[in-house]
Amino acid sequence: MSAASFIRQAACAAAGLALLLAAWWLGAALVAGNPRTAAFADFAPGPALAALAGMLRRGELWGMAVPSLRRVGGGLAIAVALGVPLGILLGRSPAASAVTHLPFQLLRMISPLSWMPVAVLAFPTWDGAIVFLIAAAAVWPVTFATAAGLRKVDPHWFKVARNLGAGARHLLTTVVLPAVAADILTGIRLALGVAWVVLVPAEFLGVTSGLGYAINDARDTLQYDRLAATVLAIGAIGFALDGLCVALIRRTAWLRTT
Amino acid sequence: MDDCCGPGTGPFGPRPTRRHVLDWMAAGGLAALLAGGPARAQAPDDEVVRIGYLPITDATALLVAHALGFFEDEGLKVEPPTLIRGWAPMVEGFAAGKFNLVHLLKPIPVWMRYNNNVPVKILAWGHTNGSALVVAGQGGVTSFADLGGKQIAVPFWYSMHNIVLQLALRSAGLKPVIKPQGDALAPDEVNLQILQPPEMPPALAAGKIDGYIVAEPFNALGELKAGGRILRFTGDIWKNHPCCVVATQEENTTRRPEWTQKVVNAVVRAEIHASRNKKDVAKLLSADGRNYLPMPAAVIERAIGHYDDPAYAASGANRNRAAWGNGRIDFQPWPYPSATKLIVEAMGKTVVGGDRTFLDRLDPDAVARDLVAYDFVRRALDRFPEWKADPSVNPGDPFDRQEVLSP
Repeated sequence: MSAASFIRQAACAAAGLALLLAAWWLGAALVAGNPRTAAFADFAPGPALAALAGMLRRGELWGMAVPSLRRVGGGLAIAVALGVPLGILLGRSPAASAVTHLPFQLLRMISPLSWMPVAVLAFPTWDGAIVFLIAAAAVWPVTFATAAGLRKVDPHWFKVARNLGAGARHLLTTVVLPAVAADILTGIRLALGVAWVVLVPAEFLGVTSGLGYAINDARDTLQYDRLAATVLAIGAIGFALDGLCVALIRRTAWLRTT
Repeated sequence: MDDCCGPGTGPFGPRPTRRHVLDWMAAGGLAALLAGGPARAQAPDDEVVRIGYLPITDATALLVAHALGFFEDEGLKVEPPTLIRGWAPMVEGFAAGKFNLVHLLKPIPVWMRYNNNVPVKILAWGHTNGSALVVAGQGGVTSFADLGGKQIAVPFWYSMHNIVLQLALRSAGLKPVIKPQGDALAPDEVNLQILQPPEMPPALAAGKIDGYIVAEPFNALGELKAGGRILRFTGDIWKNHPCCVVATQEENTTRRPEWTQKVVNAVVRAEIHASRNKKDVAKLLSADGRNYLPMPAAVIERAIGHYDDPAYAASGANRNRAAWGNGRIDFQPWPYPSATKLIVEAMGKTVVGGDRTFLDRLDPDAVARDLVAYDFVRRALDRFPEWKADPSVNPGDPFDRQEVLSP
């Protein structure tokens, strides 16, 4: 990347952040300006950043982030373990795709939170219920991205591979997986976003740790500076994980779009 | 005392069969998907006390019993109480056997046992009084009669708050309704909606609702942060009304009576302690103490103890304080059957969302006999007579009372 384009990118990012900050500040100023709601204006940038600094200094944030990351990671791992094979099946078998189309579309549209009662009843631990809710949300992007990626693969590749004597295992490891790796990662990238969305309401359930739990605590005590600080932390962690996905996608992509 | 009904029967004859616990939980299609499964409310298999609680002062008895080691004193093993943030997951966790000791708003077990066939038993009252109706500080609402055409939030349809609110509204000549937001209201109509307690103070401050009725400490928070004003304490409308009760699976009362007796002993001791040491208990439960409740001590102290205030007297928020002698919240465990009957009667007149046909078939006397396990708490109270010192007990005739309403 040339220096000029790097500077331009950095300037664009800074401008975007500045816009967001301005909107945040303006929203808080509106709430603060109304005497009735002034007591709830703690979510303004100033108090929120101060609360965030305090949470960082006391090491609180780390303690909140680790359990949530573990739950998101567990949910994503289950989603990948189920979604990738399922996606490969759907991508390779038109019959499987036709049979599952209707039920999967139906299930996909269900907000994972409506699974809450089932999750509570079916899993012995609260953590298990939360991981299930995250997995239930994350499995669909992974499945559909994998299937869509596989459908794009030139059918001749499979013919060539078979003619060269590839068995099912070889076909999977040398053709299918490299071909769809970038698509799987794109699916994971989408799933990651959904997983964070589900995390906060899922941590309503009987656990006493995590970022979602901290948000619920801040709501229960009307400490909106802590609420906003936790939101910032979730945003920053999500951004970092998303960046990781993007880097991995770049590495595995075989269709260069430059 | 609760063996009036044989297996499979209830106060209105044979119970409806195979109604699933979930069909009232989620209004969505998921419930329909699962309806028809067997009703579950299995108790956990071991004898460890597993407590589920919401971050409100209604949980005080269970939390104090845990904090002060009263369960261990009885020789029980106990897990740290599990914080849950809504009545729905609480009931789901109870039905799934994740908890064997919970606090529930008194109408919830009525609904669970008679609408959904969940075998739940009330062991004791968790506290008396302890809620209030909060309105905007600047608004012109000074009495229930001023609430015509207004929007009021309640935490749950099957709550004491909804029942007491509607009782007072009806007596002020107003009609509680459930209409979509934005629909025109007649001058004598009051529109009710469900709102999560943490959303109530900001909704009031923003003018989205005109008032809310809920458990503490959200009234104290509304006063401190949302410019809210207590219009009336519920314990000033219905003298020493029950609010949250302590409940367990029925199986525990039949198959593990010794266990249940020990649990009730611990709860009774906790309530006696809470009744005598409100300020210490507030600190203990708060974020500045053992952090059972996320709020700071100042908020919990106000929620539990702040009742003798000239402003309340002047506005009439606790106009019966001198005559009734109660506090903002009081702690006494005896589940007066007269109050249970009154609740069932009042539930029959209370507007709620969803299917409420089961209420028409309920006989208040039969519910008072069938829903509550009296023997355990009676034995515990005989063992710990100090409970009679609570202001919400009449020591002369502690096990009987007339319900007093002053709406």
